[in-house]
Amino acid sequence: MSDAIETSGLRMRFGKHAAVDGLDLKISAGSVYALIGSNGAGKSTTLKVLTNIQKGYEGHAALLGVESRRVGAKELERVAYVSESQEMPEGMTVAELLAFWRPFYRRWDAAREKELLDLFRLPLDRKLKHLSRGMRMKAALASSLAYHPELIILDEPFTGLDPLVRDELVEALLDHASEATILISSHDLAEIESFASHVGFLEEGKLRFSEEMSGLSQRFREVEVTVDQADLPSALPKHWLLPQTASAVVRFVETQFDGAGLEAEVHSVFPSARHIETRPMPLRSIFVALAKAGREAA
Amino acid sequence: MIPFRLVLQPGESIYEQVVYAAKRAMMSGQMRPGDPFPSVRALSKALKINPNTAHKVQQQLLAEGVLEMRPGVGAVVAKPPNGTRAERSQLLEEELERLVVEAKKMGLDVADVQKAVAQHWAKLNGGKS
Repeated sequence: MSDAIETSGLRMRFGKHAAVDGLDLKISAGSVYALIGSNGAGKSTTLKVLTNIQKGYEGHAALLGVESRRVGAKELERVAYVSESQEMPEGMTVAELLAFWRPFYRRWDAAREKELLDLFRLPLDRKLKHLSRGMRMKAALASSLAYHPELIILDEPFTGLDPLVRDELVEALLDHASEATILISSHDLAEIESFASHVGFLEEGKLRFSEEMSGLSQRFREVEVTVDQADLPSALPKHWLLPQTASAVVRFVETQFDGAGLEAEVHSVFPSARHIETRPMPLRSIFVALAKAGREAA
Repeated sequence: MIPFRLVLQPGESIYEQVVYAAKRAMMSGQMRPGDPFPSVRALSKALKINPNTAHKVQQQLLAEGVLEMRPGVGAVVAKPPNGTRAERSQLLEEELERLVVEAKKMGLDVADVQKAVAQHWAKLNGGKS
């Protein structure tokens, strides 16, 4: 499959600081890609550079095969970009907003618009400035999904929303997942874990890994070893993160789990190991482990 | 609504969890032969999973023969869905493994566990074993 998004050596500087620092990212068409990372890791900047909202990057960035600095109306007709901090014409009602956007998009689908309005139960006659945070996000999403975008880019779409609204947004997105590529940056990892097909971890403007969600889930395990002597040897395998001990227990995060290999390795490091327990980790725990380990290494 | 209950355990294969839950619902009679199986779209929306994963689940269940395609209806539960007694008890394997692991950690032996299971069984049966 072709790439919906591709960057290589992408760099975006603000003064001396590089918010994006040599980013190599490939997102194949049809995937649901979750871009995760701490605040300030460069997620929003990356999304803005890709869509040509943020200008002045170095290196290469392409959106639907077009170099990002040349992305204009023609490409944006095929792209939806919805951001948590998006500016909206506050004085317009929901109906006016939709009427305003409609003529810009040749593929605008009135039936789809109606479905989205029904799903979101949007009050058509209310002004945007009088909408709740959830309703604003729904209005932004409805006006972006009605034209069948090939690429949907969402920057922190769930921030500050209640669980019911989050569920409704996810439902609307899932309806589009089979016809579009979705790139979503979010801290709400529980929300995206079940439907993301790929995940990329951004740290200080660089991509630490980018892989299939299922592969990531398989290689991370929280490991607890019961030992007779809980002394940490000075050198532990590099792929064990955040080793800790308490009483007769050693705990760490295995990042290259493969079943039998782990057991042998644990016994060679801790000859007194009596019991090994491994637990799968939700995306949230994986994220916390990586972010903490990154901070400890820095 | 979809006819089986599933709280996804994060970190474990979503695909395997859904296949397991669906089979369990068929074996336990929550879904009967001929009942329509949720469409890929319905499954995806109900469980908030990627449509590709939902599609893979359906393909797997069709390949195993527990579902069959019926023209105009879509995937339905195939006959015979009830399985043998042995097959049905196999569905408890995950729970059994967890129980055995916990028991061993606490230093219990198989007789202790059997006794506890029997007691619990009797409790749910209102005192009769």
